[in-house]
Amino acid sequence: MLEYLFSNKNVEKILIYLILHKKANATELSRAFASSLDPIQKTLRKLEDGGLLVSFLEGRTRVFQWNPRYPFLEEIQNLAKKEYEFLPNHMKQSCYQVNKRKRPRKTGKPL
Amino acid sequence: MSIDFTTISLKDLAAFIYDTLNRNGIEIILVGGACVSIYSNNRYQSYDLDFVTYEELKTIESVLQKHGFRRVGRCFSNSSCPYIIDFVNPPVAIGNESIKNYETLRTATGMLKLLTPTDCVKDRLCSFFHWNDEQALEQAILVASDQNIDLTNIKRWAKKENHEEKFALFLAKLQK
Repeated sequence: MLEYLFSNKNVEKILIYLILHKKANATELSRAFASSLDPIQKTLRKLEDGGLLVSFLEGRTRVFQWNPRYPFLEEIQNLAKKEYEFLPNHMKQSCYQVNKRKRPRKTGKPL
Repeated sequence: MSIDFTTISLKDLAAFIYDTLNRNGIEIILVGGACVSIYSNNRYQSYDLDFVTYEELKTIESVLQKHGFRRVGRCFSNSSCPYIIDFVNPPVAIGNESIKNYETLRTATGMLKLLTPTDCVKDRLCSFFHWNDEQALEQAILVASDQNIDLTNIKRWAKKENHEEKFALFLAKLQK
């Protein structure tokens, strides 16, 4: 929807994903968007350089999340929330894994 | 001016970078941990100089490479210098507050514009507020102990950021 504004189709997808899931890593995002890893990694780095996102290492995985210190955070989050509301249901389901399990699962427990 | 980057102090290097870029029409502001080093007389030693700038990195690169600094991403380093120079995206802000007033220092290597001691404390507290970073809290206390700071201003800002409880923790530690 706002690709023309960001000049990059991955930016709005990542922002919407983070609105829903709070944090994400590049592999998870590339799977969710059925996209190659490299452009996702580049976009995440760009958003981090800009100050909108910060990243932490969790084990060997670099996990990205909103930067709570970013002065325009609330405005950008509101934009992403509104974009999500305007998405058709099939896209909400396919790209953003709204039904992704978030509660814990004990180690070794079969599915 | 001939500079020995091997032995240069953080403050002198920051001033050298500021002055060199400023003479080329590039405005930069020192923020982050380097301000803590300067205001705490190196009781906290940072090796990372974060400058906020609106200038294109290509323009900065063309000036700094004349002094032996190489660019990797947004950072610059010189093989004989222990410090890393990072150019951070604008604006200069601490949480939701935009910063307009800065401190100016004069050193042997030139002038330097940086956060005021009060804003430096807010900057460190911001990391403590959002990430529970105890190191940042300690740094805020170092600066607040060594410099004249406006506690009323910091208290008002902490309230606006919805972190009055953590500000109270800072105050209690500072007054110990």
